[in-house]
Amino acid sequence: MDFSPTELTPAELELQAEVRDFLDAELPRGSYEPALGMGAPNDKEFSKKMAAKGWLGMALPKQYGGHDRSAVDRFIVVEELLRSGAPIGYHWVADRQTGSVINRFGTEEQRERFLPMICRGEIGFSIGMSEPDSGSDLASVSMRAERGANGWIMNGSKIWTSSAHENDFFVCLCRTSPIEDGNKHQGLSQMLVDLKSPGLEINGIPFLDGSPGFNEVVMTDVFVPDELVLGEVGMGWAQNTSELAYERGGPDRWLSTFGVLEQFLAMHEGTQLGDRAVEMLGGSIARYWGLRNLSLTVARMIDQGGAPSVESALVKEMGTRFEQDTLLKLTELVDLEPSPESASMFERMFTAATLTGPSFTIRGGTIEILRSVAAKGLRA
Amino acid sequence: MTSTTIAPISEPDVSVDDLLSDAAGKLFFDISDFDTVQAAEDEGWAPTVWNAVAEAGFAWIGLPEEAGGSGGTLADACEVLRIAGAHSAPIPLAETGILGGWLLASAGLALPEGPVTVSAGRPDDTLTIAHNADGSATLNGSLHRIPWAAKADILALLDNGRVLAVPGDSYTVEHLTNMAGEPRETVTFDNVTVTAGGIGDAGDGVTPESLRARGALSRVMLMAGALEAMMALTIDYTETRQQFGRPIGRFQAVAQHLVWSAQDAAITKMAAQLAARQAARGDGRFEIAAARSLADECASAATRQCHQAHGAMGMTQEYALHHLSRRLWSWRSEWASPGEWSQVVGRYAEQVGAANIYPLITGGSAVLD
Repeated sequence: MDFSPTELTPAELELQAEVRDFLDAELPRGSYEPALGMGAPNDKEFSKKMAAKGWLGMALPKQYGGHDRSAVDRFIVVEELLRSGAPIGYHWVADRQTGSVINRFGTEEQRERFLPMICRGEIGFSIGMSEPDSGSDLASVSMRAERGANGWIMNGSKIWTSSAHENDFFVCLCRTSPIEDGNKHQGLSQMLVDLKSPGLEINGIPFLDGSPGFNEVVMTDVFVPDELVLGEVGMGWAQNTSELAYERGGPDRWLSTFGVLEQFLAMHEGTQLGDRAVEMLGGSIARYWGLRNLSLTVARMIDQGGAPSVESALVKEMGTRFEQDTLLKLTELVDLEPSPESASMFERMFTAATLTGPSFTIRGGTIEILRSVAAKGLRA
Repeated sequence: MTSTTIAPISEPDVSVDDLLSDAAGKLFFDISDFDTVQAAEDEGWAPTVWNAVAEAGFAWIGLPEEAGGSGGTLADACEVLRIAGAHSAPIPLAETGILGGWLLASAGLALPEGPVTVSAGRPDDTLTIAHNADGSATLNGSLHRIPWAAKADILALLDNGRVLAVPGDSYTVEHLTNMAGEPRETVTFDNVTVTAGGIGDAGDGVTPESLRARGALSRVMLMAGALEAMMALTIDYTETRQQFGRPIGRFQAVAQHLVWSAQDAAITKMAAQLAARQAARGDGRFEIAAARSLADECASAATRQCHQAHGAMGMTQEYALHHLSRRLWSWRSEWASPGEWSQVVGRYAEQVGAANIYPLITGGSAVLD
């Protein structure tokens, strides 16, 4: 474990100022309901504007429409979007992970086909990992792909597939050959599946806050052509685990409830806060500062060719718990009976955050799994 | 020494050379061992550690050479302090250098060969200082919780823009300790005279607030070191200790303690080093307060987790954990309470307003007017 403090260079600070100016112009404070981090709604127009600024696919190669920029540059853009509650839903998954996975493991044809669209903000991806019987034990997936003519025939169900009803494709982890000798990590593959494919059915599952974005994806004899097998057949497990090994320490893992805290302060602007509130606010801001610097260091390590998988796991485990803690502390502080229909923006955001809060420490790897990853690394 | 490169005055180099960290690490590892730290609880301090540190010049890093210091930056001094914290060094290192030595040097007063101590100010202090016509001052009353008061050559006091170098043999000492057995003593003055030569005007930027911030920073550094050492000790123990046929660290419930403690150690070290850097640049008030808020919280959480992971082994004075945990419990409450430092950060947030709290988080003290 090694976190060495890093600071932004003058060029990086310029980028930060540019992103802030862009967001001030596009999303003037008070003109919109800030989203809660990565759970933001889709806004294709906004995604296109981001693309026009060169802020999508930042770390992807120029030849595919990317910008050959650093992980720190992407960090700077992303933290500003998240802390502003910008509507990043449409491009989020593609920009964070699918683009880099296709770039690393995909065929030349796949790179040429998908990466320019990702960089232009013209394609939305979902994540097809969990199944009704496979959550943290992901290698136990039972989605089957069987050999057909020039491709694969897929059967099975994925569940908790966020925004599948609005997105275009999903990366679907499936079994392409049966388990041999009890080694379930072999025989898995990743497929790039068109969510409009014949035989693919998307059933909405209402989320805790009533939003429709959670889904079940049922696939019945869905044909996936050979050219949409991501990477190598049978290498799905290694590809899948590397997908988020480093990126999981990013700002999306500690900024989900920042907007609620900011709104709490905004609501009290012009009045003197009591000592209890000031202490809570200060304690939270101190932790944002600390977490942000740990997270920034992870990005810097990636740029320097490091492999900060343990560091990323530590940041995510800590950051997501903190997202929930912030809500608890606000709960202790405010005298209100929260209502989703409230006229107060703080109250609406607080309610939405409370209702979606349990997901923070579950999505993208539960904190229990992260602790196992981190503990192994600490012993090494 | 000749050099053609001139560092811009506005941006001092605040990075810490690895050579310094390595040298300090080696020195404290060799000399501040378990038996020495344990023995210091009876003797009040560890003269062998002090002598080695003094000989290496570590006690006066960050103080200008022309004032008798060892040169280097405040960030250098803080790094040495962090390493001293990791080894539970039972000496007044912070007090002699970045606190008391800083006060004396700023006022053009001589640095003594031995330790210096300072007062953090306690509500029950009764000290009065009368300034006389001949430039001397007369002290009466008491000060509380003075670190190593009996071992200090000089007690450096800041009083209304002046620094007083009070001789260590001019006051009586009631020996009291903190939870780690480190001296935190009550000193009493009975018509003590400090001559005009022992009094100087405090230098630019030397105020009760900046002294308090340095005091807080010193505890952040010590705690960061202690947390890292406690983490290493706990990983080691849980890998060695076997129950139910395997190392206890392999049990998920115990692994959770390790992971949470590792986070506490990592975030505190990060905060400490950033705060030291910013303070060395001249204004680290946000970073110091934020680092203290974090460090205090992490010290409380990690001591609990590491003790739990150690079971009964951690409850004995024969095992090293208590040298660290008892210091953490003490240091988190020195130079103002944990809650007060969170409030300092909170007031900064209130000052910049809702729209600017994120810029405050990313920009720190520079964002405050």
